Amino acid sequence: MVESPHHDHNAHTGDIHEVASVTSSLTTFAVLAMLAILALVVGFSNLGEIKVIISLTVAATQSLVLSLFFMDLRRADPLIWLVASSGVFWVGLMFLFIITDYLTRHIAVL
Amino acid sequence: MAANVHDAAPVAHHFNNLQQQHDAIRLGIWLFLVTEVLFFGGAMCAYTAYRIWFPKEFEAGSAALNVGIASVNTFLLLASSLTVTLAVRACYDGQQKLVQFWLGVTIILGSLFLALKAREYYLDFEEGLVPSRKLVSPQQSSMIGEGAALAAPKYAFVQSLERALHHAGYPTEGVDLFRVQLFFMFYYILTGLHVIHMLVGIGLLGWQFFLAKFGFFRYPARYIYIEVLSVYWHFVDMVWIFLLPLLYLAGPHHFGQVISGLQQAFGLSQ
Repeated sequence: MVESPHHDHNAHTGDIHEVASVTSSLTTFAVLAMLAILALVVGFSNLGEIKVIISLTVAATQSLVLSLFFMDLRRADPLIWLVASSGVFWVGLMFLFIITDYLTRHIAVL
Repeated sequence: MAANVHDAAPVAHHFNNLQQQHDAIRLGIWLFLVTEVLFFGGAMCAYTAYRIWFPKEFEAGSAALNVGIASVNTFLLLASSLTVTLAVRACYDGQQKLVQFWLGVTIILGSLFLALKAREYYLDFEEGLVPSRKLVSPQQSSMIGEGAALAAPKYAFVQSLERALHHAGYPTEGVDLFRVQLFFMFYYILTGLHVIHMLVGIGLLGWQFFLAKFGFFRYPARYIYIEVLSVYWHFVDMVWIFLLPLLYLAGPHHFGQVISGLQQAFGLSQ
């Protein structure tokens, strides 16, 4: 029956985790929007074969900013880091083995 | 009163304390996201193999897509990621009205994305950019004239794609137009899966909005649910961040197509 005054967040949420401030979220958004503009500039450019590499590098950077700041991975426990990095590791293994297999076979159809 | 039952965050009997419960909930969503990464990863891996085999066909398929809608949708999703984060902050501060407001804005932004996406699918369908083995008889094709009776039937998809690529100013020499259907299969499957994830996200956001609106929860006690929901929503945004360059920007495009794509979306073109 205790009314909730908000002077001590942790007492209410029962959690030692902090949550990003409004200013911090706005900064993250600004960075992500800039990167999205960069992704479009690269996408609309005529860079030829390396365009896909640059595009994916920009996308990976955006994902990193998004996960560290919006998904709050930077404040997460080591266990969460282990889970998140295992996801990247497994998907990397999947790409590595499938792509090496397919590209070293006889070309499918010509 | 019953309303006060939810004032304090409840600890389930199998947890020692609230901290442990929150840590378990966070671990749960991240484990789920790993399965999601592998799910989308599988589809993108297949995409990579085929794109390496048939680069010209994939670029041609991409050139026929509407980059105007995709560009606007990118910013709509990024903005919704910001608003859901603001909802988490409001929740943490115990500002019930603000939680409702930011959840509501996120739902609106997500729905706008889906509305534009639906419009895009409609336009794709109208242009005939749907994989099929349907044939068009010479009478229906553009070759009506003296020699029409002698012309061979053509695949409806190929004819539609030729028209779309001509409109985009993309040269079709050396491109196996029939095989571009492969690109469109990936386009529909990847964007379709993304749309399903958006629908689930909007449903969950709607449920939390309902709970906040009718005072079922007193924030910040239940803020962990909004936090976990935001993590899922950000993941859906992250998938789109990769779909944009892989599907829409794979082919040659220019900024003018953003304007013409949007004109087409809003019915302003000829």
